[in-house]
Amino acid sequence: MPEASLIEVRDVRKAYRGPGGKLVTAVDGVSFEVARGEVLGLLGPNGAGKTTTIKMACGLVHPDAGSVRVAGHDTRTERLQAVRHVAAVLEGNRNLYWRLSVLENLVYFGGNRGRSPREVRRRSGELLERFGLAAKRDEVVAKLSRGMQQKLAIAVALLADTDVVVLDEPTLGLDVETSHEVRELLRGIAAEGRTVVLSTHDMPVVEDLCRRVVVVSGGKVVTDALVADLLNLFRSRAFRVTLAAPLPVDEMARLRGRYTLTASDDVAFEVELAEPGELYRLMDDLRAAGAELDGIERTTPRFEEVFRRLVQDGGVGAAARPLRLREATVAV
Amino acid sequence: MLSEGYFHSFRANLVKAVIELRRYLPNTISMIVTFYAIFLFLLLGVRFVGDPATADDTVRYLLVANGFWFLLMMSVNSMGWELSTEAVRGTLEQLYLGTVPPWLILLFRVVAMLLLNLVILAALTVLSMATARTWLTVDVGALATLLPPTLLAAVGLAYVVAGLTIVFKQVNALLQLSQFVLMAFAYVPVSQVPALELAPTAKGIDMVRRVLAEGAPLSSFGAADWASVWATGALYFALGLVVFKLFERRAMRLGLLGHY
Repeated sequence: MPEASLIEVRDVRKAYRGPGGKLVTAVDGVSFEVARGEVLGLLGPNGAGKTTTIKMACGLVHPDAGSVRVAGHDTRTERLQAVRHVAAVLEGNRNLYWRLSVLENLVYFGGNRGRSPREVRRRSGELLERFGLAAKRDEVVAKLSRGMQQKLAIAVALLADTDVVVLDEPTLGLDVETSHEVRELLRGIAAEGRTVVLSTHDMPVVEDLCRRVVVVSGGKVVTDALVADLLNLFRSRAFRVTLAAPLPVDEMARLRGRYTLTASDDVAFEVELAEPGELYRLMDDLRAAGAELDGIERTTPRFEEVFRRLVQDGGVGAAARPLRLREATVAV
Repeated sequence: MLSEGYFHSFRANLVKAVIELRRYLPNTISMIVTFYAIFLFLLLGVRFVGDPATADDTVRYLLVANGFWFLLMMSVNSMGWELSTEAVRGTLEQLYLGTVPPWLILLFRVVAMLLLNLVILAALTVLSMATARTWLTVDVGALATLLPPTLLAAVGLAYVVAGLTIVFKQVNALLQLSQFVLMAFAYVPVSQVPALELAPTAKGIDMVRRVLAEGAPLSSFGAADWASVWATGALYFALGLVVFKLFERRAMRLGLLGHY
């Protein structure tokens, strides 16, 4: 394993017995690495195998085949040594003891990490201040809002001071304001240089925080790429075309038949090309249709749209093979 | 240091047990009332139905047996109960993300729970003795010597229940059934059923009964008695731990750890 890789997931497979005893494959040959200090987004639709992959990385589920190593330790055969490097928020606010207070939760989990109460209280003070929970330190968790519970669950994970922090849906079910607060906290965690594996459906969070994403679908990795590269790649294919005058209906229908386009109004439409070179063909078609071009500009897609297309296409482009763009140069 | 880390974990689990005993006060009160009510019911039986000539001896036996039944139920069922509750709450997987092995955390919890329940039991026994106007020979040294090997076997049984819980989750029926089995270990003297010497905790309870109810000194026990109580204690503890680890591995293989 390269020195810089803190997590190495190598060809892991996991199948569960579903209703009726039928084997259901949850993870099917997933491989990826996470470098020290990297913020990785593990994305995919529901049932894609994200949570199982995360649980295997945390040593909570044993893979049927393949291996997961954290800091060089196999999570199956050297579980305790491996999880020493990992803290995780797996079920959000459910990861807490609701009858204990905020501080009591921190002291309890810290104790089970072998920390002295004095050490935990000192560190807890810092975390509670940072998470805006200092005034609630003696409040029983059951009485806190969901957002506060979620923040406390993250604080508990940070208390462990591990190299790796795994966050499964950290903004799930939060209102916009609290989600923003949590996002700011996550940004702080990422800035500390910790290795973060983030699984979420909240694409703005991914776009904001992750340097790289691994997209899984149907238990397989469909894309492993830098977020910036993906945005550039999709940016290079999406254009906004403005015409001086509306096109006749039949000409517009012909264009629709040849390209994926969304009309904003009579004289403007957005088009997504299969490859950047197709732009020349579009120009020719517009000329042939008698269109007078007023302007054409490249549009920046939202990451949410990029993700949707990746899952839909089974990776970048139509090919259902995983595309690894980490070292690749994206031609625009 | 590793051992220091384990001490902090034990301390954290003890503090949590004390806090939860306070926060779940209605449960604690109902447990105390139930224990006392059962004792009163049995006492009435002895006083009104039993032989008046042996009533005091019977009450002393009853005090020891009832106390042990309470302790056994608490220790054997506690791990399973806690694991199923944690699976529902969503905290079970967090226990597996600590640096202290989960089997050790469970051991710390059951020891913490036993320490607290021993304090409650001591108070309840004094109350029960005062109610019955019958007194046991309280030999703290003898109790401190006999309780560890006796309860070691109970912890072994607790690990078996915990192992089953981690895979099957809903083991309420088993826990209810276990009450009657544990009752047999606590109430039936080994002298009446010699085969019970091989059963978990029965030999130890028998020795405690002789000390507390009959006033026998520790020196009255021979090497065979000590060998038997420690051997069964160690055997059932080890067996329970092995069973727990096997079920734990199975739960991890089947991905059942956090599921309920």
